[in-house]
Amino acid sequence: MRYEEFKTTVIRAAEKAGLKDYELYYVNSESLSVSAFRHEINEFSSATEGGVCFRCLKNGRMGYASTEELTEEEAEELVRKAAENAAALETEEEEFLGEGGLSYQDIETQSSELPPSEAMTQAVLEGQELLYAADPAVVDGSTTEVMSVKETVAIANSRGLDLSHTMAGTVFVTSAVVKQGDEMNDAYEMKAGPLEETDKKEVVEKAVDDALKKMGAEPAPTGAYPVVFAPKAMASLLSTFSSAFSSEAALRGLSRLAGKEGEKIAAETVTILDDPFYPENLFRLPFDAEGTPAYTKAVIEKGTLNTLLYNLKTAARLQKETTGNASKRGYDGAVEIRPFTMVLKGGDISEEELLMQAGNGVYIDSLQGMHAGANPISGDFSLQSAGFMIENGIKTRPVKAFTVAGNFFELLKNIKGLSDEVKMSGYGLSTTAFAAPAVLAEGLSIAGK
Amino acid sequence: MLSKSLCERVLSAAASTGADYAELFAEKTFDRSVNMVDKKVNAVNDAVIAGASIRVFKGLRSVAASTVDTSEEGLMRCAKRAAEALGEGTAEMEIVLKERLFGDVHPIKIVPGSVPVKEKIDLLKAGYFAALDYDPCIKQATGVLLDIDHNILIANSEGVYTKDRQIRTRMNITAVAEKDGETQSGGCRPGARMGLELFTEQIDPKDVGREAGRQAVVMAGAGYCPAGTYPVVIDNGFGGVIFHEACGHSLEASSVAYGTSQFCDKLGQKIANEKVTAVDDGTIPNAWGSINIDDEGTPSRRNVLIENGILKSYMIDKFGGRKLNMAPTGNARRQSYSYVTTSRMTNTFIEAGTDENDDIIASVDFGLYAKQMGGGSVNPATGSFNFAVNEGYMIRNGKVCEPVRGAALVGTGSEILMKIDMVGKLLECGQGMCGSSSGSIPTNVGQPMIRVSSITVGGR
Repeated sequence: MRYEEFKTTVIRAAEKAGLKDYELYYVNSESLSVSAFRHEINEFSSATEGGVCFRCLKNGRMGYASTEELTEEEAEELVRKAAENAAALETEEEEFLGEGGLSYQDIETQSSELPPSEAMTQAVLEGQELLYAADPAVVDGSTTEVMSVKETVAIANSRGLDLSHTMAGTVFVTSAVVKQGDEMNDAYEMKAGPLEETDKKEVVEKAVDDALKKMGAEPAPTGAYPVVFAPKAMASLLSTFSSAFSSEAALRGLSRLAGKEGEKIAAETVTILDDPFYPENLFRLPFDAEGTPAYTKAVIEKGTLNTLLYNLKTAARLQKETTGNASKRGYDGAVEIRPFTMVLKGGDISEEELLMQAGNGVYIDSLQGMHAGANPISGDFSLQSAGFMIENGIKTRPVKAFTVAGNFFELLKNIKGLSDEVKMSGYGLSTTAFAAPAVLAEGLSIAGK
Repeated sequence: MLSKSLCERVLSAAASTGADYAELFAEKTFDRSVNMVDKKVNAVNDAVIAGASIRVFKGLRSVAASTVDTSEEGLMRCAKRAAEALGEGTAEMEIVLKERLFGDVHPIKIVPGSVPVKEKIDLLKAGYFAALDYDPCIKQATGVLLDIDHNILIANSEGVYTKDRQIRTRMNITAVAEKDGETQSGGCRPGARMGLELFTEQIDPKDVGREAGRQAVVMAGAGYCPAGTYPVVIDNGFGGVIFHEACGHSLEASSVAYGTSQFCDKLGQKIANEKVTAVDDGTIPNAWGSINIDDEGTPSRRNVLIENGILKSYMIDKFGGRKLNMAPTGNARRQSYSYVTTSRMTNTFIEAGTDENDDIIASVDFGLYAKQMGGGSVNPATGSFNFAVNEGYMIRNGKVCEPVRGAALVGTGSEILMKIDMVGKLLECGQGMCGSSSGSIPTNVGQPMIRVSSITVGGR
């Protein structure tokens, strides 16, 4: 059964069960990916996935159930389970459904059609040629891949909300593996956007160059000295600690930013936006997971915490307006809070000038182990890093296998400079993303040799 | 689930453009969870995950296609999509399926789906409030009780037609302690391929909560771990994550077959200290990472990966096996039908050794005792790994001293394997969710207490 028909069936079942307040949230995703290895197509995959989440209010409590089986029997099961789950809840927090009749920003989408598989195949094979041609040190194991995803999100509820939006995007990814003597290194690079506009040579050569530059790396010396985070490394730090900006985390005592709205929490130069329409992110939605219109807001403005992020429920509890940041981790997840594209705004100097400002220190362009070495509640982090030493304002020898440790909230206060080029981490195929410039910070500890 | 004759038709269609292997994987999974926060049940979720995936090989080329539509028309469309992507020729492959039954060595006593949600809530509450009541400085706790009923069917052109029902149960309690304005969390997350009897007969939920509370309180009072390079003693249980990250991932065909592992072409060679014997064994009754059959229908088995320091085996799936020219080892796994199967771990551990725990601690003049490890990650190509120490103590003059927080261990797999120079006698396993290209799957990690003679410790 198709979704539209399933939706009607579920609504009928909900009405029959005497439910007055309910909502269906539907996600359908189609993806294609082609990868090449040793000049040949290695894997091709075509996936369709997705499902429906039904939630309903019963005695003031919100019950959830979801399914990937769109059949008549499942429609009734879904309604029965959601109502049963609502009855098991104990929380007395007031629950909300979004209202219909609001207006939404238009989002221009390039094309919602997946590219033909021949074009994808051709691009990855071309990528293989470019990889091996880039440098004699490139070895087997170097891969190229094209992924294309098209995703539709739809919300319909008993309050007249009936929204649907389709996002699509393609990304060209390469992993270059280089070997010299016994030493092996790899580096990734990617570019999102229409395949015909992607400069594959540039992407591939950047990956090979990055992998080669890391040859002969040794641990950085142990000590406390200035650190410059590369844009993508800074964006991934921001991502790791972004839950601190959630009003839900604040309400639960799981954010150090609770009660700090209006206070100075960062250096004067720090402005962080939440931008649902950030052009580099191909997955832009005009509404949040409750159907509230999405809009751009400053979370931190010139060092002051302007607002946390809210959904309908936390806004009501804290007597605020929702910021339109309701979000679900998958179609079957509960409504939580997440940013769209969170952007640390750039400064007005180039990265070279920022390095000059650092003088002597370390440039970190790779951070690993974010899920283990960082505590989003306390802000403490101790992360495996790689990058380059900075000597007299210039990037010199490569370094690896050391850790950088500090506290994110202290880091925000100790930012001494920001470069003017902002980059986004990730593929740009996710509604939640993070972008940042290169950042010079003090007060961090390096542990190496 | 799908009949043999339907599977035969679908596989024939999938192989109609010259495939030399065709496979159908179908799944129906019931995923349920009960969640608590702020002393109250705040979410009860039910999800049905259902779909199928078809894969065809031709030489060293693999095509996979998945669908949520498991009707005959849906499956045939999916098969056609796979066949068209593989080639344009026409070919016929005779498919005759024969049902294979594998013994189920993981008995389930209390099927979670048959238990009213109220009883699950009572079990979770026992654990949750034990955490909250552990100490006055515990300010918040979260709790989840989840159960998964994962039903799979695998049919392939080698004649295999087989099914498995994998039931797993897990409780996850996190406690947050606050002392002098500092917040720290502690957690305990036991799970098994077992029904609810895990928490009615084997593990007291209160112990789960108390352990989470204990860790949070200890760490809230801890100072920072000093940065440097020194000996580290890692305790048993989840401490085995070090082998999982430092070595396990680099022994998966998904990196070995692509030449991106530091252990390529090293079979028969010494890659670890002679004290180290390591095993991947998916047949342990009721263990969290156990499987009767893997997701390609190959029976699970015990694979000795390293024996007294010598590399003996990789972990291999069918496609990786083609590239390596080696037989599959029963390690093909995927989170669900929408991921493409690859080589993964099951229950992976370092075998018990001969050293006494007291001797291991006493041997260290200055070092770190990592009692509880957090998660970690690895880049198989360079072998560089990292992981977090959730509960650590300094060792001075052979004695365990004050607790320290914020420690991370970093290094490379090949290096650390040589430096494991003491191995204790008491092997224990801990439960984790391992993430990789084929999704998030349940795996056990394990080891006895070990000493690493020297490793970089990140702290400040």
